[in-house]
Amino acid sequence: MVTTDALVLHAFDYRETSRIVRLVTRELGIVSAIARGARRPRSKFGAALDLFASGEAQLITTMGRDLHTLNAFETTKSRPALAESLDRFAAAAALAELLLRFAPEQEDPGLLDTVTDALDALTMAPKGAAEPVALGGAWCLVAELGFAPSLDECVACHAAIDSAASVTFQHRAGGVLCGNCARQAPGARTLPPAARDAIRGWLGRHASLPLDGPSLRAHQRLLREFLEEHLTDGGRPLRAVLAWERHEVDA
Amino acid sequence: MSAIDDLVAELARLPTIGRKSALRLTYHLLKQPAEQSRRLAEALVMLAEKVHPCPRCFNLTEQEVCAICADPRRDATLICVVEEASDIGAIERSGEYRGMYHVLGGRLAPIDGIGPDDLTIAPLVERVRAGGVREVILATNAKLEGEATALYLQQQLAASGVSLSRIARGLPVGGDLEYADGVTIAQSITARRQL
Ligand SMILES: [Zn+2]
Ligand SMILES: [Zn+2]
Repeated sequence: MVTTDALVLHAFDYRETSRIVRLVTRELGIVSAIARGARRPRSKFGAALDLFASGEAQLITTMGRDLHTLNAFETTKSRPALAESLDRFAAAAALAELLLRFAPEQEDPGLLDTVTDALDALTMAPKGAAEPVALGGAWCLVAELGFAPSLDECVACHAAIDSAASVTFQHRAGGVLCGNCARQAPGARTLPPAARDAIRGWLGRHASLPLDGPSLRAHQRLLREFLEEHLTDGGRPLRAVLAWERHEVDA
Repeated sequence: MSAIDDLVAELARLPTIGRKSALRLTYHLLKQPAEQSRRLAEALVMLAEKVHPCPRCFNLTEQEVCAICADPRRDATLICVVEEASDIGAIERSGEYRGMYHVLGGRLAPIDGIGPDDLTIAPLVERVRAGGVREVILATNAKLEGEATALYLQQQLAASGVSLSRIARGLPVGGDLEYADGVTIAQSITARRQL
């Protein structure tokens, strides 16, 4: 039995009375667990096992099995505010999907803290301001997962990059390229200085500067392309990230 | 794949049935007269062929429209929106409600790839726009995705001018405050009513 801080990233009903959850935990990274009887009216889980809730999970792990048993979940914080505006809801789902698709099943204490901070920031995001907050959270998760983009020196030759210039950003290489290297790397995006500053700010966990609509859309596209390039689990689309980018629910 | 393997695989897809139970059921059927299995197969075929969503409310029915939509004694000015057809049974058993229904076919769940177009939201908006509806009760589940779905519906229906309400949530009847979880108690306090 392992007792660990956890946050619910995904939850779905399973059979008549159970629920399967995917948790990001402090001790075990991302795990799947079955909460038997969680849908019964007087279940010990109560209303606890909802999406984006934080708590202390008691997990019974079985060697060699992917599905653990959730023995108990003591909620310390639920986040109903994420359903009080649809831009927050769409953004929170995108962050959860990012983590589910990239995160390893191994101990990574920083991951839980990073996503907790990102979701807490989202619950407080003013109406219409969820996107830059979520972009910041997403880049911090990317960094925590170990593939923060290089922004100040060329990823290929390590030449310093002029901070006031537009630069070439290549997803595959994982960051910006100097003029010379960019000529040999077709199909990359041009990143204006303001966009590079914004990403640098997000990675440094600074509050986001206001961004206009076209800049936000460009940032969402850049993030999604970067994620798609670095996915290793095959070509399944990032559905929640795409729905967020396309404003499917928060038109 | 043998016939046995095929049936085991199909049965094991059903809720509450694992591989072991599927195997047990398959061997049970093999011991029965063949006629018994044939009747079961026919019932399954009829189920698939006859049962379809009601074109008005998306409840499941064998008739052209479902029994609730067809009942002239029900209040057609009231629509209760639920996630699944099975939720209708739960509300009907309470005996409290005499209006109509609308089955969404799920809830907004971006991580599962379920967006507004995967639910029967457009037909609901159309139904309300067509007129004759006084109130829409949003009875999606009191979970985060159910709440987001209710909010989405609220925004989609706002322009129609119809009266919108959300079902109350909180302590189960007969439940002790002492044993309720914090989330439920918090919701009961938020949704308290003036006496
Ligand atoms: Zn270079
Ligand atoms: Zn009907």
